[in-house]
Amino acid sequence: MTTLHPDKVTADRLTGKPTSGGPQGPLGDGTLFEDPAVRTPLVLNNRSLHDVTEIVCGYAENSPGKWWLPTFMFTATVAGVGTLMILYLLVTGVGVWGLNNQVGWAWDITNFVFWIGIGHAGTLISAILCLFKQKWRTAVNRSAEAMTIFAVMCAGIFPGIHVGRIWFIWFVFPIPNSNAIWPNFRSPLLWDVFAVSTYATVSLLFWFMGMIPDFATLRDRADKRLRAGSGTSKLCVQCPITGIKFFHLPVSADGIRAFVYGLASLGWRGSGRHWHRYEAAYLILAGISTPLVLSVHSIVSFDFATSVIPGWHTTIFPPYFVAGAIFGGFAMVLFLLIPARELFPNFKDLLTLRHLENMAKIILVTGMMVGFAYAMEFFIAWYGGNKFEVEVFINRATGPYWWAYWTMITCNVLSPQVFWKRSMRTNPKVIWAVALFVTIGMWFERFVIIVSSLHRAFLPGEWHMFFPTAVDILTFVGSCGIFMTLFLLFLRFLPVFPLAEIKAVMPQGDPHGHGDGGDHGHGDDSHLAANQGGGH
Amino acid sequence: MDVTARVGTPSGKGYWRSVDEFSQTGAFREFVEREFPGGASELLDTSRRDFVKLMGASVALAGAATIPGCRRPDHKIMTYSADVPEHIVPGKPLFYATSMPLPGGGAEGLLVETHEGRPTKVEGNPLHPNNRGRCSPHAMAATLTIYDPDRLMYPIYDNPARGRVDATWDDFKTWGREHFSHYEGAGAGLAFLTEPKSSPAWDAAKADLMAKYPNARWVSYLPAGSDAATEGSRLAFGTPMREVFDFAQAKVIVSLDRDFTDNEAGAISNARGFGARRRVWKSTDQMCRLYALEPMHSGVGMLSDHHVRLAPSQVSAFAIAMAKAVLAKRDNATLRAALAGAANPDTTAFDAIPTATEGKTFLELLAEDLVASDHLGHSLIVAGDSQPAEIHALVHALNAALGNVGTTVRYTELKGDLASPRLSGLRALARDMAAGSVKTLVCLNVNPVFDAPADLGFAAAFDKVPNTVCLSVGASETAAASTWSLNGAHWLESWGDTTGHDGTVAPIQPMIAPLYDPAMSDLELLAFLAGDDAPDGHDLVQKTWARVHSMRPTDAEFQRIWRTALRDGFVAGSGGDLATPAVRGTEIASALGSFVPVAAPPVDALEVKFVTGSIGDGRHANNGWLQEMPQPITKVVWDNPVVVSPATAKALKVTPDDYTARQEPRAHMATLSVGGRSMQLPVWICPGMADNVAIVTLGYGREVAGLVGNGVGFNTYGLRNATDGPVLRGATLEKTGESYPISSTQNHWSLESRDSLVRWLDKPAWETHAGAAEHGPGHGVVADPYATSGDDSELSVAEQLGELTHTPANLSLYENPFNESRGNAAPGSAYAKGPQWGMTIDLASCTGCNACVIACQSENNIPVVGKKEVAKGREMHWIRVDRYFVGDSLNEPERVMNQPVACVHCENAPCETVCPVTATVHDREGLNVMAYNRCIGTRYCMNNCPYKARRFNFFDFAQAKLNGGLDPKYVPEGVRKATNNAGEGTTFNQNLIPPRLREKLDEIQHMGQNPNVTVRGRGVMEKCTYCLQRINSARASAKVQGLSTIPEGYFQVACQQACPTESIVFGDILNPESQVTKTRQNQRSYLLLGYINTRPRTSHLMRVNNPNPAITEPVDAIAAHGHHGGGHDEGHGDSHGDQHGGESHDAHSFRVDPTRQIEDDGYALSLRVLGGNGVHA
Repeated sequence: MTTLHPDKVTADRLTGKPTSGGPQGPLGDGTLFEDPAVRTPLVLNNRSLHDVTEIVCGYAENSPGKWWLPTFMFTATVAGVGTLMILYLLVTGVGVWGLNNQVGWAWDITNFVFWIGIGHAGTLISAILCLFKQKWRTAVNRSAEAMTIFAVMCAGIFPGIHVGRIWFIWFVFPIPNSNAIWPNFRSPLLWDVFAVSTYATVSLLFWFMGMIPDFATLRDRADKRLRAGSGTSKLCVQCPITGIKFFHLPVSADGIRAFVYGLASLGWRGSGRHWHRYEAAYLILAGISTPLVLSVHSIVSFDFATSVIPGWHTTIFPPYFVAGAIFGGFAMVLFLLIPARELFPNFKDLLTLRHLENMAKIILVTGMMVGFAYAMEFFIAWYGGNKFEVEVFINRATGPYWWAYWTMITCNVLSPQVFWKRSMRTNPKVIWAVALFVTIGMWFERFVIIVSSLHRAFLPGEWHMFFPTAVDILTFVGSCGIFMTLFLLFLRFLPVFPLAEIKAVMPQGDPHGHGDGGDHGHGDDSHLAANQGGGH
Repeated sequence: MDVTARVGTPSGKGYWRSVDEFSQTGAFREFVEREFPGGASELLDTSRRDFVKLMGASVALAGAATIPGCRRPDHKIMTYSADVPEHIVPGKPLFYATSMPLPGGGAEGLLVETHEGRPTKVEGNPLHPNNRGRCSPHAMAATLTIYDPDRLMYPIYDNPARGRVDATWDDFKTWGREHFSHYEGAGAGLAFLTEPKSSPAWDAAKADLMAKYPNARWVSYLPAGSDAATEGSRLAFGTPMREVFDFAQAKVIVSLDRDFTDNEAGAISNARGFGARRRVWKSTDQMCRLYALEPMHSGVGMLSDHHVRLAPSQVSAFAIAMAKAVLAKRDNATLRAALAGAANPDTTAFDAIPTATEGKTFLELLAEDLVASDHLGHSLIVAGDSQPAEIHALVHALNAALGNVGTTVRYTELKGDLASPRLSGLRALARDMAAGSVKTLVCLNVNPVFDAPADLGFAAAFDKVPNTVCLSVGASETAAASTWSLNGAHWLESWGDTTGHDGTVAPIQPMIAPLYDPAMSDLELLAFLAGDDAPDGHDLVQKTWARVHSMRPTDAEFQRIWRTALRDGFVAGSGGDLATPAVRGTEIASALGSFVPVAAPPVDALEVKFVTGSIGDGRHANNGWLQEMPQPITKVVWDNPVVVSPATAKALKVTPDDYTARQEPRAHMATLSVGGRSMQLPVWICPGMADNVAIVTLGYGREVAGLVGNGVGFNTYGLRNATDGPVLRGATLEKTGESYPISSTQNHWSLESRDSLVRWLDKPAWETHAGAAEHGPGHGVVADPYATSGDDSELSVAEQLGELTHTPANLSLYENPFNESRGNAAPGSAYAKGPQWGMTIDLASCTGCNACVIACQSENNIPVVGKKEVAKGREMHWIRVDRYFVGDSLNEPERVMNQPVACVHCENAPCETVCPVTATVHDREGLNVMAYNRCIGTRYCMNNCPYKARRFNFFDFAQAKLNGGLDPKYVPEGVRKATNNAGEGTTFNQNLIPPRLREKLDEIQHMGQNPNVTVRGRGVMEKCTYCLQRINSARASAKVQGLSTIPEGYFQVACQQACPTESIVFGDILNPESQVTKTRQNQRSYLLLGYINTRPRTSHLMRVNNPNPAITEPVDAIAAHGHHGGGHDEGHGDSHGDQHGGESHDAHSFRVDPTRQIEDDGYALSLRVLGGNGVHA
């Protein structure tokens, strides 16, 4: 550590020792202002630009702590179980799940829609908030984008494996063939293929492109240490439990970093021209992504809305699904970042209570939107006068799956209501609990829509219950393991905050600081302190 | 079955054969050669070549076939078609006529489709007077039985020194010649055990046998059923007679616990006549009225106009009370006097039945209906097995008194075994066996070790007989216990003959040489034992027939008769010689004088009725199709729970668990004790049953049946005794605390007030509305919201009962190019050209018999999935019969409705748009077709099908061992039954094995599959194809014949062809002359869920009920339906307000408040019927 961070102050800060600290506000960490005339600081504790680099890169270059490896091994094991379940399914047949002739989709598509929904917050934060110049997005956008990618990967698993004959899954792609057989362009499931793959591609590009300057920073740091001879210790293979070292690999960690980050940074030199191209491309991608936020879940909702099944056949689904996706996505961001904020001590400087409060407000708003949608479904069913429709909704609330419905209502509609109170939406513990509830509730929302509509459709003679099997459950748990494993790897090896963008929203990053907020300085600590004091 | 391994063991044949003989015959090689598949083709090729040769040969050649030492001689099989083909065209099926003997007499005349010599599908013979082209499920399931890999393949001898060893027929013949010679002449101790058969050749063979062994005992028995009908006719006429009905003539029918369309000699003929009388087409058409009095809804009971649930003893009491009421109005002094003397039954229960006529009871009104002048001579009273002989005699007298004899009922005399009591002979035999006086017992296709009543101790007695010979087609308990277990020939592979219910003689022709040759049919074994060293079924039948015709078999005239009979499937003029004997009033009177009606059973002394179900008396236990065929009323498969009414179950605290609680509905185990014997059985409930009656199904619980049938259900023969009939009294049912999973294909029993799905109308309302429609437009007929042309602009009467009267049309914003509306296909468009296929299913005559289900399964290679998979809701049947209880009481539903549903081939199919890979598409003839090769199995189509008609192959059902039975003995954590041989390596759940590694079907099981239909693999969606293969082959042959189109009636689809009541009609809906066009355009036709604009090609025909207006006031359901009450009229009042005006809106008893909920313990959330305003409740 000392070799990496000669700056003693920074090293102390990195290890969580108290820092000099700026003035604290009336609530929490000093970011919760009531005065609309005063800009909330986005980075706390009087950080210099160098501090930000050290914090973010420091975690990508060092183990985040003793908790990481056991946690990683646990989630990797869960992911392994999930993978085994998928293999078992592929070898044996879809019958290992609890599906039947009436309920053709259950946990598989529930999980798919759930994960796709999770993936919405990332792009919303990255793209829409970017276009709207919401600077607070910089604290969460990188991790939210990462989460999006991982969630879409998990989502992609389920439509892939839920088919009866996965070896013919390529039939869904429009591949020119001698029989001139094309996929059915009228099928919402095909639209899903296009929508999700587009979304995954754009999200991945967006995420990766944003990281290019940061990769370059990491590359340069490793290269600098290599040149200075301070980073030459060889990598060793170590028993994760006992710590006994087995043998040394012929390369150093910094050597690998310099190589891998070097590849990933695509020759970034930080020239003005690079930055110009980068900014332009970023904006273009943000523009492309913005409609995708709305389209993907709309199209996913078409899977249901275009059908004739009561409970599915409803026009409210596209906006309702999009709102639900943003709702669930933000909940997942909070669910992941609040613990990260605790486990990585200096993250609190970058991810402030104001950020959390903003996201809690979004949860509250989108939660009300889905609550409204739930109510409207009932109203329209009654107003439409269709007996089959009415009975599906009565069945949802009072039928055999009533518990799923009321779990959904409790988690999604009732639990965010605590955010009406400011002390609640600024309390990370409460926010985390609500985020957990919302995540559960959003899973149940999809379960309720899919299973409770299918299990009692038109003809009572064909009504049949769905019961999940152990394979159903373990596959879902396994997908959570895959998601968490990937996220832990992200926390460990990649820049969790966008360095350049954070620096741009810091007072030092605004060369014309007097323009909008009043009088930001030019990297001068005293200016910064004055700004945070809010006295101007 | 690894035969070769067994044959090859040193302890095998060497013991029985000299080394010379062994090496000379090369028995092992021979066995290998005869094994399938190689052997099959060789064998068949030979037979076909010889067939062609024989065509040109003299008839003497056939006669010379009995040269000793030859292989089984080949005989001519006449093709059904008049023009005998010169050669076999590979890929073209040939049809041969044959017949299937029914247990206890009677026969079904059949046509069997054979592909390259393999029988693959059984159909009814259109010429046979019983079948007329229709067929029962059991006959159709024979194609599965014949290729059952668990069949006996070779004789097995229980060597006193060495235990059970494999043997050959030569071994048996050697042993038999020596052994049976002791019984010739005066030798005693020989007994033959068989079942009663109506077969001339069998009777002749029996006579020969008894002449050779004069002291031998001949015993015939039937494990199930009762003698009451025979004894009743003996009482009534002096000689035992069987009724031959003509239901087509009947206007009023009273069924005293008899399902005359099931399980009796003339069942198919009865179903045809009855079905025809249940269908009305015009307002002026007449239909019969059926009163059914029975403990549990039978097939015809579900169609009845008045259903009274009564314990069997109370049905008897009702019969006497009814007789008194009828005879009071008819001049039959003797009987009237006798009945006056007979004890008066307690009629309070019947009198409590509500009637619409003030001051008159149900009984009186029923009697008035019977004696009404236009019903005299056109009524029919029938009594079932559960009724005692006296009641049967009384019924004969009543039919005579009402003038029905000669019109609706005639009689045919029963002779020989058919007339003898079915169990008394067995009782005496068992006694003698136990006493040791029976030295040799020959069992011919019977299984007494399994199915003898428990009080006989037959299995123990069987062990005391030193020499037992059992001829059996399938594995059986008796064969396993016998000294000699002989592999019998199935009726599809042997010669024989049958006598039908009306005396029609029909040949049994082999469709294939015995699969496990050498084998003998029971007829041939009789002949062998009678001294014919190389018996030949063909000659035996021919000789018998020649004797009947007083000719020699070689006579040209006889050959003409013979060949005609083989071609037509029956001997012309042999049937229909029916008697109209006079009843002996005095004898009936004296019998009735001593008949004391008993009181209704209390809850602590239940009445038990033994019945047979899908697998018959146990003989079909190893047939997966029949095991998975739902019981028509309970829909239970793979099991035989004791069934009680919901109220009785509640009183005894044995109501099954809420089916929503777990995947497999749980029944309580209970100890059923009756007559000193008791047994633990699961208890299931059935709405509409008489209280305090337990229905027990026989035939299940086989222990040696094969992999499919072993250990399925419970052997309830253990509760029977040989003296009482099928009804026992004084039973108790006590809960044991254990539970047991029951699989049922339909878990939800109520229509949930969705009466637009299954529509019905009372006859007066039908007459009103159909009459108005027949008068043409402007007579109160409702406009069709979807109609786009004037010709098709009005809703039929049946459609007026549905949503279309009060929902606006789901009109599209754009013209969907894939939609071609009915009635307005654009000229030149794909749908304007014929043929356009369509189907109608008539709810008025469906008895839920499952013939369509099995026909479809056989035709389309549909796999069996097993009990556990059915519990999960994964049965594969392409057509199903949904059964709904309608009414406001779980215990006493108003009505039971059957609704067969298969893919309805929507013109605007929801499944087609959603498939991402275009695996399900429309063809130019209006079919919604599946491209199995293209299907990847997203199941989206299944989800989006409003009819839930699609079936997904979750595992490799078709390929797995046991025809998809993923461990048929799966008993999850419930009661594990201790059986001797079940469970050896078979309790492992096959689901855990990847399908590719699972033990696959034996080669032989593939032989029964239809080569024209793809066998679907795992992960593929499948569904009804309207028998696309039949359409295509019809199109091909129409083209070959130079026809411009496929004419009406050129072919039938499988379900249509099987339906005994002719409820399913299929054809070209663009052909104005076709039957389906007429039925589809009938006022009874409606489109299931038509309001979602799916435009089904299958339409259902509304049921019309014909209740006695004096008993139940008829309801105008259309008026009730149309009247929506406050607040809703604005929306649609304009369109159809007029015809509802002035109608009575009085709520009838079954028009209950739709918000009313019934406590139903989780089943059938509420059995309410939609009221007038139920839609907007």
